[in-house]
Amino acid sequence: MSRRTGAGTRLPAVTFELISAALHSAAVEMGGVLKHSSYSPIIREMDDFSCAVFRSDGDLVAQADFIPAQLGAMSLVVKNLIERWGDAVEPGDAYLANHPYMGAMHTPDLNVIMPVFLGGHLVAWTGTTAHHIDVGGVRPGTEGPDLREVYAEGLVLPPVRLYRAGRENPDVVSIVAAAVRDPRSTLSDLRAQRAACLIGVSRIEELAARYGTPRLLAAFDEMLDSVERAVRAALAALPDGESEAEGFLDDDGTGGPPQRIHARLVKTGDELLVDLSGTAPQLSGALNVPWASTRAAVVYALRAMTDPSMATNDGILRPLEIVCPRGVLLNPEPPAAVSVRHNTCQRLADTLVRAASELWPHKAVASSTVAFFGMNLESVSPRSGLSSVMAEVVGGGTGAHAGGDGLDGVDTYMANVGLMPVEVAESDYSVRILRTELIPGSAGTGEHHGGLGLRRDYQVLERPATVTMYSEQTDPRFPPRGAAGGGDGAPSRLRLFGPDGVEVPVPSKVTMTLEPGSVVRIETSGGGGYGAPTRRPVVAEEADRADGRLEAPPRSNDDGPAHRRRQRPRGERAAR
Amino acid sequence: MRPGRFLVAVDVGGTFTDAVAVSAAGGTLVAKVPSTPEDPAIAFEEALAELERAGLPLGSAHLVFHGTTVATNAMLTGRLARVVLVTTEGFGDVLSYRNGTRPSVYDLQQPRPGELVARRDRVEARERLSSTGEIVTALSEAEIARVVDEVAARRPEAVAVAFLFSYLDDRHEEQMAEALERRLGGVPVARSARLAREFREYPRTATAAVNAGLRPVVGRYLVSATSRLERLGVSGRLMIMQSNGGCVPAARADEEAHRLLLSGPAAGVAGTVALGQEYGIERLVSFDMGGTSLDVCLVAHGTPPLTPTETIAGHPILCPSVDMVTIGAGGGSIAEVGPTGRLSVGPRSAGAQPGPAAYGRGGEEATVTDAHVVLGTLPTGLSLAGGLGLDLEAARKVVGRVGEEMGLSLEEAADGIVQVSVAQMSLALRRVSVERGIDPEGYTLVAFGGAGPLHAGLLLRELRFGSVLVPRYPGLFAAAGLVSTDLRVDESRTVLAPLTEEMLPALAGWLRSTAEEIRARLADDGVSGRPARLVASADCRYVGQGYELAVQISPLSEAALAELPERFAELHQRTYGHRDPEGTVEVVTLRLSAFGALPKARQEGVSPAGRSTASSAMVTTTSARLPGGAHRVGIPVYDRAALRSGHRFDGPAIVHQHDATTLVLDGQSARVDRRGSLWIEEVR
Repeated sequence: MSRRTGAGTRLPAVTFELISAALHSAAVEMGGVLKHSSYSPIIREMDDFSCAVFRSDGDLVAQADFIPAQLGAMSLVVKNLIERWGDAVEPGDAYLANHPYMGAMHTPDLNVIMPVFLGGHLVAWTGTTAHHIDVGGVRPGTEGPDLREVYAEGLVLPPVRLYRAGRENPDVVSIVAAAVRDPRSTLSDLRAQRAACLIGVSRIEELAARYGTPRLLAAFDEMLDSVERAVRAALAALPDGESEAEGFLDDDGTGGPPQRIHARLVKTGDELLVDLSGTAPQLSGALNVPWASTRAAVVYALRAMTDPSMATNDGILRPLEIVCPRGVLLNPEPPAAVSVRHNTCQRLADTLVRAASELWPHKAVASSTVAFFGMNLESVSPRSGLSSVMAEVVGGGTGAHAGGDGLDGVDTYMANVGLMPVEVAESDYSVRILRTELIPGSAGTGEHHGGLGLRRDYQVLERPATVTMYSEQTDPRFPPRGAAGGGDGAPSRLRLFGPDGVEVPVPSKVTMTLEPGSVVRIETSGGGGYGAPTRRPVVAEEADRADGRLEAPPRSNDDGPAHRRRQRPRGERAAR
Repeated sequence: MRPGRFLVAVDVGGTFTDAVAVSAAGGTLVAKVPSTPEDPAIAFEEALAELERAGLPLGSAHLVFHGTTVATNAMLTGRLARVVLVTTEGFGDVLSYRNGTRPSVYDLQQPRPGELVARRDRVEARERLSSTGEIVTALSEAEIARVVDEVAARRPEAVAVAFLFSYLDDRHEEQMAEALERRLGGVPVARSARLAREFREYPRTATAAVNAGLRPVVGRYLVSATSRLERLGVSGRLMIMQSNGGCVPAARADEEAHRLLLSGPAAGVAGTVALGQEYGIERLVSFDMGGTSLDVCLVAHGTPPLTPTETIAGHPILCPSVDMVTIGAGGGSIAEVGPTGRLSVGPRSAGAQPGPAAYGRGGEEATVTDAHVVLGTLPTGLSLAGGLGLDLEAARKVVGRVGEEMGLSLEEAADGIVQVSVAQMSLALRRVSVERGIDPEGYTLVAFGGAGPLHAGLLLRELRFGSVLVPRYPGLFAAAGLVSTDLRVDESRTVLAPLTEEMLPALAGWLRSTAEEIRARLADDGVSGRPARLVASADCRYVGQGYELAVQISPLSEAALAELPERFAELHQRTYGHRDPEGTVEVVTLRLSAFGALPKARQEGVSPAGRSTASSAMVTTTSARLPGGAHRVGIPVYDRAALRSGHRFDGPAIVHQHDATTLVLDGQSARVDRRGSLWIEEVR
């Protein structure tokens, strides 16, 4: 494969700006095409997808702000594809890949990647990754915290040709269609992903026509270099030093003990070393994190703690060294299962942010929820009668900071997945959502309060359904931490009520069958507080009280205990 | 329009209120008065009185067009009426968790978004519909009474009712709203499904809450404006500009208060569109910069782009709106030096009161206008709108203070303020052009508003637009744009079902009967004789998708409806690059828009130059330091009123007129055409 780079071309500053802005806007436009033509609520309502543009060697050069977990990872898929297909790549091809040990994150995130050729040379790639609700496997919704091997996590695809020279590849399409539970949505969304890539390809071709290929390629190089310079400058502006922090997963996914995540940061001049080797060995369950996702977590934390407004690409990786031996749960050996890796990623992101807060106290923030409640519920659409799987994610409170209170009921850290509208959920799945409300008293107090967690109740309708549910941060020893003297948020809680309304005890990660009339209740954690509670202004406190944010009043229609004792922080702390 | 009759327009900006009257014969009268933000109706009346003094017989005003910022200001400053929100039980917090995402993905220190309704003012009602529209829990009389009591006890200024699935069946919303109206007397009650019959509870609830919060504010204002018209003896009807770029009679405007959020800015875009039609130019960028803010809109095919959802102050509002970018950069934007020594300009503005220090009305902070006065690009000693003179000493004092804080000389500080402000304008322009992959080179920048022409030359150089067009009355251009608008009525009906042959007669029937109703309403609203232009469309999608594409239906017939699936597939292919041969097409919403043509006035041009040259319009030479320049140079000042069609001159130059000042840079040239517009281009 002959690849071209932009070495040696002079690039006027204004042209560079025009090209880089146009590539960014191409990524935004790709996202619009995917979202607006998708068939799956997880894509069209919850925005669990990302789009980007890559240089010919696979380095990510332009992205819009989609899901940090996906953006930080995608270039490894492209690099793997280049390694695998080399000179066989042809114009009009579109590759499909999801192999967690070949650069991808977990099997439900399907990557579709297209090459961009100009004058017979490969000059760039456009790519999308989207969470598909089900890619087969033993569980509806594919994911399962207790799965033990990647082979159980549905269809595993190294980079294969979904399209060959502009035509759909029937072999791959029929393999996918036979392996997944809702082939109609999966195939439609794959076509939408490829259409999004095509839009990106045309935008790049147009730019080359306007500015010439050499300038376009020089712009790719300069985009990476300028991000590298910006990150180095941001790092250089911060004090040198070393810090560490630890965080714990509630368990190993199969009911085992808490698992340690450890991060040590060493910042010297304009470089940063991130040492994760103090983390626990890989797990028997599916909370392991493939390398792409570990790298994405570090990239996310670095941007958030330096300059969140800075546009990024793979240039951010250059001043960064990540140390994590093979066999650690953040860099597992195959065939360890990884489908629920995102819960671990969130805990890792929180640990990195806390370590950075130690290193740079003026940037300290309280912790956000990492409960990341996820649910895959086998279902039938009341409107179309077709069987499907409902995938749901519920956010919670974010941490308070020196400038103000945290946010209520949102996704946190490396994800920014939306809450499914009730009117969408009930139209597409045989479920009724009985309530979605803030949980008073769930946030850490302080001069600034954390954001409140969410309570959402799901009632299964019509027929028994298999469900996989998982929530982190249910262990009261590991709640969202306060900062600068602020209090901790409350832990999260997963509850189940039978058709008769009687509570049934459930573990925080479980696959089971629910009878019609059963109610699943998730209560996510609130964010940590910031600063001493005695410093909170009286007006703010009065408003909190009037708005019922502080404590839960007893509810007449509450079918479970309304009050919970707040747990005192114990066990986990930032180590110095 | 009969001879002797006038079309009148009043456009309220953050700093000035402008008025224009155009006669059937083409004569134009103009007025400009300072805005009165605490009660905009005062300036509204003042502007009309000023027109009368300029020679307008107020009794001969046929229609009074009005672009108002009363809704926008209330929204941006958080001065909405206190709303109580009534929701389905279990969902009172929907305005807190919104759509569950963070506005900024990476910022760990972002502020908590403001809430439209305080948590203490949310009341939940026991009622429930299913996703197929069946009643799961009926809304009982006892529950209605309980909720009404709870709401009344909170003494709201307005109420919003938003129940789940009301877009399928709104009878619970209606029952609740009627009971609330009976109990609360004149308190407005917004119903979500009436305002936006669309699914997804968060944006629909937010729309209802915004509508409720605005109605008392807008209602009070319109009552005041209408009574002032009566007092002045104006019999012409008051027409209010909406966010979609069309007008409605004032009597209907407060019920649709959420549709006024872009009323002011839409007027300027309407002016740009009308100007484009006059010149036959399709690609324009509307650059409307007043004292407080800058509104930018890219007009690509002679029509302003519409977006189905407008987001203001972080809240989604479901109503078709002109798609534009607004930033807080105006002549009155205040310059501040932060703790780290960084200079920022805006979004805080000195507004109408006190205004820039140079206006001599007690302004104590340095503004962009003050910086120009210091640089000399806004020369003192020439008369300005509203009888203002410019106070150089006052400007030097406030800008000098900024310089001291930064360790810069007076003129360096002034230059810095202008450059920071221009960089912000440049970013706003990039967002509508470069960032959408559009090269400004093929576009004409239409610069207006009191401060637009002063910065247009700088942006021409920075972003390389094809050219700049400064209309004849830049400070009054938005007001003049109002005069060229049409009445607009939008009706819609939710269908939400796969298209079948059996449905066609009913759908065609709705289109025809609605067309009749709209015609009757337009006749009632003052459009008679000439037939209204009707545009029908259907929002379609494949079953399973969540977003729709609008497919045109023409004519309003069953045959045209039957073609929808094929037309949709073609549009899907064009828009997204693929189609689904096995997909079933469903119709989500049927829409009918009607445009009632209002009388148009002919605007007079300027006389030809003959043998005279532009130097005949040169009034003086002033000393000024151009932004980015190193020292002062002598710059000729032209009187815009004395410039004739065909005059040409080179920059650097300053063109002075009553309502705006135009700056032409060194290396740029300017010419005047027969309509009196000033064109600026780079000399290449």
